[in-house]
This record gives sequence, structure tokens and C-alpha cells, in this order.
Amino acid sequence: MLFLSVLLFYEPKSIKKTAERYESMFAPRTLYWGVQGEDVRILQDKLLRWGYYDGAVDGIFGARTYRAVRKFQAKNGLQVDGIVGPATARALGMPEAYATAANSTVNRQTDEYLLARLIHGEARGEPYVGKVAVAAVVLNRVKHPSFPNTIAGVIYQPLAFTAVADGQINLTPNKDSIKAARDALNGWDPTYGCLYYWNPATATSKWIWSRKVMLKIGKHWFGI
Amino acid sequence: MKDRKYLIAPSILAILLVAALVWGYNQYQTKKQREIALENYYQSLFFDIKKHIENIQVNLSKVMVANTKERNILLLSQISNEAISAHTKLGQMPLTHAEIANTEKFLNQAADYSTYLIQKHLQGEELTEEQRQALSNIQNNSVKFNEELTNIQNSLAEGNFFLGSLTASARNRVKEANENILQTSLVQLDEQFAKTPELIYDGPFADQMINRKPVGLPENEVTAEEARKIAAEFLGNVNIINIEQFEEGEHINEARIPAYTFNVYVDKQRNSPIYMGVSKKGGKVVWMNNPRPVGTTKLSVKNAEERALKFLQEKGFENMEPNYYLKYDGTILFNFVNTENKVTIYPDLVKVKVALDTGEIVGFDASAYYLNHHDRKIDEPHLTEAEARSKVRQDFNIDSIRLAIIPKGKNEVLCYEFKGKYNGSDFIVYINALDGSEEEILQLIKNENGTLTF
Repeated sequence: MLFLSVLLFYEPKSIKKTAERYESMFAPRTLYWGVQGEDVRILQDKLLRWGYYDGAVDGIFGARTYRAVRKFQAKNGLQVDGIVGPATARALGMPEAYATAANSTVNRQTDEYLLARLIHGEARGEPYVGKVAVAAVVLNRVKHPSFPNTIAGVIYQPLAFTAVADGQINLTPNKDSIKAARDALNGWDPTYGCLYYWNPATATSKWIWSRKVMLKIGKHWFGI
Repeated sequence: MKDRKYLIAPSILAILLVAALVWGYNQYQTKKQREIALENYYQSLFFDIKKHIENIQVNLSKVMVANTKERNILLLSQISNEAISAHTKLGQMPLTHAEIANTEKFLNQAADYSTYLIQKHLQGEELTEEQRQALSNIQNNSVKFNEELTNIQNSLAEGNFFLGSLTASARNRVKEANENILQTSLVQLDEQFAKTPELIYDGPFADQMINRKPVGLPENEVTAEEARKIAAEFLGNVNIINIEQFEEGEHINEARIPAYTFNVYVDKQRNSPIYMGVSKKGGKVVWMNNPRPVGTTKLSVKNAEERALKFLQEKGFENMEPNYYLKYDGTILFNFVNTENKVTIYPDLVKVKVALDTGEIVGFDASAYYLNHHDRKIDEPHLTEAEARSKVRQDFNIDSIRLAIIPKGKNEVLCYEFKGKYNGSDFIVYINALDGSEEEILQLIKNENGTLTF
């Protein structure tokens, strides 16, 4: 009996958390009581200027923000629920991520963020140029026939990056990693076209040493 | 009473044991479910790849038989699609890059080559003898590929190995049971692909495109010492504490632009160096980047642009014209392109990044310029502006027209550039100024931080 009841109520692992995190990464967020961030700051700023909000612009969605959103929704004929979904965001004129017009959904943000996560997982201890170099290798691979043709394809190619294999890619990237991703996407390639890099202290594959070695940036050797 | 006390410890242990068993059983079930899900996914990828390769093989034999360009275009576009699908799926299989590099290249170039032939057909050209030979090589390769896949399929059918068990942790367990049939046979295949002759054509994945060398650098070689001086001079009026050269490998001369790379430590920012690359040939600064933190914005876009232009003039870049900018992280990045006789030359691109707090130049990248810049003989356009205009949609609202040279594969073409709006979005349409064909359409995505082209 005990055995059965434990079996019935035991749930191996909650995947809800991960789903939530992915949503906040890739989709424009829905704002509600309790969330924090730059987007909340923008929301508060707008509500403050239009006289719905009288609290601090601190990026935290609290009671005052909630009441202000409800007031705004009531005034503008929206569903009064205190939640900033797509309709309310549009009425507020929230920035690009919320806009649904056909051409403004094309942007580089997903590439940027994915690349920043890889940099953070693979090279967060490296000097700045070493971070950009790792991102440049990904972009050089995208353009090379022997590799997948998209950034995600290259990054998630099985056994290509250790940070992807051990899950470190899912850490939240810091400011430097995001900045490095942008510099790489804007064309800076400190590796002069390299396709591989390895850390001589930890590289186990014999094959990688048969590559043509170009230069050393931080702890990594780069080559083709 | 005494007897009951005696029972407490064993019963707690019994409960713990049951709990541990339940937990363990659950773990085992979860693991098994995941293994099955993964195996199913790999199996579907595998069978898909096999189907794609079969289709490539069949369509290629049809191309050999087909007699009209129209039929060929349809077949080639199918081949291109199938090859891209096979390539994408192969890249998701649990195989290392070293095992399938040439196979991936084969699929990518098969797709790219088909697209190239479609373009040739659309320009009215027939297949040449060399092109037919190249297609027949691709076909031979796809036949070999298919044979190997059939072997693997047979082994799968016998049920003595699993694709999912090729992932890292399970690898050792499986090793003695079967010598990784998938890997061994695909590695052999990969070696065969490496031996097939290079495809000669013009497309983004062609070998000639990948192995391009800079044409815009002077011929003289500079030493590391001279390069240090060039780097120091480039930064101008700053107090340099130390210049450190990056360690080089033995094949540095095979890099796209062989160069010396430096960390330059300057007085006002002791902890974060300025990075620079100086080309070995010609001793030109290829790129410079100063990733210092940037304070509050004080400069307008206009001010920053003036600073960037002045900087380019000082460095000897004349006739540069600002095109687009992008604001990020407190800086603004301008794309400058060369102009000659009022023709905008897009391949000669130089990027300049200005810090919006002090107006200091914190980034410079002329690698595209040195890769492409050469003395050009610019043709006189065969079409007048009005003739070119008639090739663009009538309801396209044009804001500006000018002549421009744009890259096309390895080559460059002279075009009329029509900037304007269609349906509320911004576009640039390029019409070939010599033969009137529509060479390129770009969409501009503008926001408050600048413009991106797609």
C-alpha cells in the first residue's frame, strides 16, 4: 500500500522550471505581479509618465505597478487583469520585442543570446578577445561547408562543444559574454578564419592536434 | 512494551529500504524512457537521411536524362532541398565532426552546386560537359553513400546495435559488443569523399570561396618589430606601457589574413588591454578593438560620425562614405564604404566603432577592405537609370537611386541601387547596370539603435 501511494505521488523531476526559463529567453515576456527586469522598468516609466503610476521605477512588478496596470487597462478598454500580455503591451507601445508587425519580428536577438550562452559556458574565464574568438569560430563554422549552416546547428552539433555536452551552456550569460557575442556578430574575427580551438591542458582528442595551428588566444589554441 | 521498542529500528530501516527501492525504480524507469525516446529520434533521423540520399540519387539520374532546362531546374531544386535536409539531419546524429566532416561538405556542396546550376539555367545557359561530369561524380558519391546506409540499416534490422548507445556515456559499454557499425562505415565513406575532385563553381560554399586570400594588401613583408611600431603609431597620442605579442602557431601563414596580434597596455586603462592585428604582408592594421567600459552617452550620432570620418582620413582612407550604424553597449558602430567616381563600392568595407562618452575610437575593422580592395576598372552602365527603373516594381516607392558595386560570389557586379519602401517596409533593390537582371533585394530593419540588413 505504502509502496503504491509513494509511486502514485512521486514525480521524477519537474520540467516546468526549465520551460519557464526558456520562455523568458526566447519569447517576449508576459509581465505580472512578482516579475523583475528591464522590461518592467520600461513599463513603470511609461505608466509614470502617463500618470497611472506613482511609485519608484525600480524594475520590480509590485502592488503599485499592478494597480497602475489595472487602471490603464480599464481606461483603454482592455481586459482588466493586471497582466501585461501582448494586447496591453501593444496599447502601451512597449518596445520592439512586443510588436507583432510582420517586419519587426526579424531581429538578431536570439542569435545574440545563444552565442552569449555558448561564450559563457566555454570561455567565461578567458580575456575579452578570447571570448570574441570563440564566437568567431562558431560564425566561421556556419559559413564553412563541413559544418551545419545555422548558429544553433553548429552549437548543438553532438560532441562539438563541452559546455553544450555538460549543460554549462544553460547558465545565464554575463554582460561581457553578451558584449562579445555582439562584437563577433558585427564582424570582428580575431582568429582570422579559424574553425577549431582547444585547450592544450584538457584536450583529449588526438585528432585535434593534427589541425593547422594559427595562434594562441588566452588559454586556447586556434586553428583550421 | 519492551518488545515494541525492539521493533522501531528495523521498521524505520524497512521503510527507508522501500523508499530507496521506489526511488531507484523510478530513476530506472525515467532513464529507460529517455533512452528509448533518444533512440527513436536517432532512428527517425537515420531513416530520413537514407530517404534523402535515395532521392538525390534518383533525381540526379533524371537530370542526366532530362532534355529541357525547365525540367532540370525543377529536379535541381529538389536535389538542393534533399541535400540540405540530409545535411541538417546528419549534423544532429551522435557522430563527431572528425568522423563526418567530408560527408557534410559533400552534401552542402551538392546543394550549393545545384543552386549554382539553376542560376546558370535561368540565365539561359545549357549544362557544359564539365558540369555533367561534376554531376556524375556527385551521383557516384550518393550511390556509395546509399550503399553504406543500406549496410547500417541491415545491422539495425538484426537488432544488435542501437544508435543512441553511441552517446558518450554508453560508448564504452557497447564497444566490445559491436565495433560501432555506424561510425566505422561512415568514417570509411568520409575518407572516400575526401578523395573526390574539387567542384569548380561560384557559390558561398565553394572551396575557392573558402580559401580566398586578401588582394588589397601591399606586397612587402614586415617583421614583428616593425609591426609593433605600426601598432603603437596607429593608437596615436597615448602613453603605451607595454606591447605583448600573441603566441603564434606554425601555420599562421595559412590564415585568411596572416597577421601579428598584440595586447597593447596603455596608461589610462591598465587592466584592460587594447587588442590589435597587424598584417604580415604590407604591415596594415587589420583590426583594433578596445573593450573598455563606456560611460554615459554625451555624443550625438552626427558628432560620432564626424569623429569616425576624421579618423579614417588620418589613417589614409579617402572617399569613405558612412552607410549604416548600430548603437550598442554605449558605442556606435559605423559601416563605411569606398566610393570611386560616384560609384559606391560595397566590398571595400571598413567598420569604425566610436565610444559615445568621449568620442574615442574604440574599434576598427578593415579586414573586408583588405580582402577585396583592388584597382577596379568600372564599366560604363549599359542601361540608363530610367531603363533600370522600369525593371523595378512600379508600386515600389523610391527614395534614392545611385550606382553601386556589390559582391556576387567571387565576383563583383555594377548595379543601380534603388532604395525605397514597399508596403511600409524598407528595401534596397539592385538592378544589374549591364544586363538589367535583378541581382539582389535587401530588407532593412530599422529601430532606434540603427539599421540591420537582411
